[in-house]
Amino acid sequence: MSRRFTLFLFVIIFAVIGLLPILQMFINSVVVDNHISFVNYQMFLSSSRVWILLKNSLTLSLLTTILATAVGAPLGLLFGKTNLPLNNFLVFLFMLPLLLPPYITAVAWFAILGRGGILSGVLGASVTEKTSSFLFGLPGCVLVLFTTLMPIVMLLTITYVKTISLHLEEAARLVTRWRTVARGIIIPMILPGILLSSILVFLLALGEVSVPMFLRYDVFPVESFTQFSAFYNYSTGTAFVIPLILITFFVLLGERRFLRDKTYQLKTTDSGEETLLVKLGNTKWLLFTVVSIFCFALVIMPITALVIQSASVSTYLKALERSYDSLLRSICYAGIGATILTVFGYFLGYLIHKKTFSLWRAVDSFTIFLFALPSTVIGIGLAHLWNRPATNFIYGTAAIIIFGYIAQYTALASRITISTFAQIPPSMEESAQMAGAGWFRRMFLIIAPLAKRGLAVAWLVSYIFCLKDTGISMIVYPPGQDTFPVRTFTLMANSPTHFIAALCVIMILITLLPMGVLGFLYRVKGLYK
Amino acid sequence: MPKKYLKLAVFLMIASTFFSVGITHAWANEVVVYVSEDQVFSEPILKDFEKETGIKAKAVYDTEEAKGTGVMNRLITEKNNPQADVYWANEPIRAVVLKQSGITMSYASPNSKDIPGNFKDAEGYWTAFSARARVFVVNKKSSGRPSSILAYTEPQWNGKSVIANPLFGTTTSEVAALFTVWSDEQAKTFMAEMKKNGTKISTNNGESTDLVASGEFDFSLVDSDDAINNIRQGKPIEMVFPDQKEKEIGCLLVPNAAVIIKNARHIENAKKLVDYLLSKETERKLAFADCAQIPLHPGVETPPDVPKIENIKVMKIDYTKVAQKLQEIQPYLKEWAGY
Repeated sequence: MSRRFTLFLFVIIFAVIGLLPILQMFINSVVVDNHISFVNYQMFLSSSRVWILLKNSLTLSLLTTILATAVGAPLGLLFGKTNLPLNNFLVFLFMLPLLLPPYITAVAWFAILGRGGILSGVLGASVTEKTSSFLFGLPGCVLVLFTTLMPIVMLLTITYVKTISLHLEEAARLVTRWRTVARGIIIPMILPGILLSSILVFLLALGEVSVPMFLRYDVFPVESFTQFSAFYNYSTGTAFVIPLILITFFVLLGERRFLRDKTYQLKTTDSGEETLLVKLGNTKWLLFTVVSIFCFALVIMPITALVIQSASVSTYLKALERSYDSLLRSICYAGIGATILTVFGYFLGYLIHKKTFSLWRAVDSFTIFLFALPSTVIGIGLAHLWNRPATNFIYGTAAIIIFGYIAQYTALASRITISTFAQIPPSMEESAQMAGAGWFRRMFLIIAPLAKRGLAVAWLVSYIFCLKDTGISMIVYPPGQDTFPVRTFTLMANSPTHFIAALCVIMILITLLPMGVLGFLYRVKGLYK
Repeated sequence: MPKKYLKLAVFLMIASTFFSVGITHAWANEVVVYVSEDQVFSEPILKDFEKETGIKAKAVYDTEEAKGTGVMNRLITEKNNPQADVYWANEPIRAVVLKQSGITMSYASPNSKDIPGNFKDAEGYWTAFSARARVFVVNKKSSGRPSSILAYTEPQWNGKSVIANPLFGTTTSEVAALFTVWSDEQAKTFMAEMKKNGTKISTNNGESTDLVASGEFDFSLVDSDDAINNIRQGKPIEMVFPDQKEKEIGCLLVPNAAVIIKNARHIENAKKLVDYLLSKETERKLAFADCAQIPLHPGVETPPDVPKIENIKVMKIDYTKVAQKLQEIQPYLKEWAGY
């Protein structure tokens, strides 16, 4: 009883925080003067601009997805399946842009390719006229989103490579060459993971606001934001997000239909089992050089450009002076958000893993659906739902930001928790149950300690996503309580470039801080032992 | 997980919750201000206000992408649940819209008495301060110098001019002002001629300035702060005030405006902040800041490259009529811009 009640309570809270705002938005868009009307949608469909935006949005998402998959999957295979030197370090470097608000990567590329950027000092202003035109538009957006989202494909490929049974590969290797093993076993087994990551990249690129905004490329999420904030046209603004919601819905429906059983629960190879690595032989150092150069060009160069542009103590002091309060708030909100998300992920993950209610599949689908929705849509929905005198304790405080985090990022914590639960033998909980331990006792004293490593990862991933959130916070932050990414974004208008570069470098450092702390605990204190 | 880590985690969670609540409620002596002016310029003024009065100014700032109307719209959506006490608008037109929506209240600040009458609402719902002027930036290598806004329609400048999208920002205000100074027909003819003359539409004034500075176009109508900043950076452009001759319409001034929100929770502090914003000292600071704004009080000190208001021929407009016209011509502008 306590189990069902508690899990049901979590579902209800999640529905109120995440789904109700979206539902209310849709109802408002079809109710005009207390009557059902599709006039907003008619106006929307009659605009020729809609089709241009749709074309732009799909072009951007597709190009990003194709590039990210074409590069991310081979990289994932290389890092996960071969003895490439320093592969963990290279994975970490490639992963960096994913940990940052995407617009910071855009600012970093701007520091190189923009007019007055580092390249203009080297090659002259006439060259940067061209590179700047390249950056501001579709190619620049694709470049930035590729840099940001490619690690998703790479990481999921690595993860799926680790799920392949050592025995299966060894048996195959006895009779054939690696090339045939790859064709017959590895690629078919990791293909669902690659497709899943491509879908994620497509949806995240489709919903991205800050990069096309910064690089002046007209896409649906930007138009929707403009309709809401510049024209104050709530109904038309909602009409503009409906295509995004529909595309997201149908893409996820396809994922459910075709990939569901193949990607639902990740189970790594048995405990203590090593992954069978491909020995690269003579090509090892050649491949290492190629990958290192690529990593330098894609990740190190833009970040270094930010560091060079901001390299003065006075700039950093000024940046800290203008932003320390938002910096502290961001860390605090991200910490609270990550903790609450881990709790939500733990219980909802348990519900989905154990299929406790018949609606477990719906809960899972909605968490993913909300994760894939543009953050501005969630922000706008939350603001309209909670902006009332009776609920001012939510709307007028940081609780509204935390609600936004819960709505958008629960999927991250729940998915990581589900994968963790898949590693824990069911007999553990069953034995405790047989011994008379109640559900709460089992959850906190048996399962939680067994899942501590997964929960720590869930917390860390949630922390990073909460910390870098811009879209939700930008719309709902209460007066005087802006977060660091929002502060950086609003200061961008007319601020000197070196000042903005310093803010971006600070953002990178505070993102890496908890990773460093957890890494330290992992190595020195044996947190995960 | 060892118990000490569990305890530490619980302690951190509780501490951070209290910290967060503390952040929210620590300042009873506060004023909530929504700001459309760029944060980089407005925040130092608010910090000075905090230092001088001891009143905490909690702000919400607009982003560039919200075209300066984001917080105005937030004020409209919060009409029945007002969070803000003061609105610092970057154009009086926004203040007029809020007055029409019944969101603001009347307040005649003692610091507004020297501000010319056309820069304040007759009923005291808003008062303007520190203005940008709408000026031409002209590339130094250009063969001529446009002197009137009509240059956009002259064959001499065919394909050589650029203007920011008239659907957004100060360019919308400029077009709406022209509709009130001229007749609708005259203004529409001007817009059509401008398009026919190959005028390029840019995303914003900053981009227009860059395009002129790089020599891709000869001139553009932009805000004076864009022009002054780029000239200070050594870009090869000049600033020209349009329509300064006799019988010409003068250049448009786009001042900031201070407004108090109806049912403000901190009304006394709101009045103090509005008084502060309308002071000569604030105007002086905004003139010397990188936004290089023109003071509306006579006799306020300015740097050499920021002109005094008494030396400019200003377009004579009624901001209330401009605001009404702006809303009226939105469908026309959307059609004109191909939206």
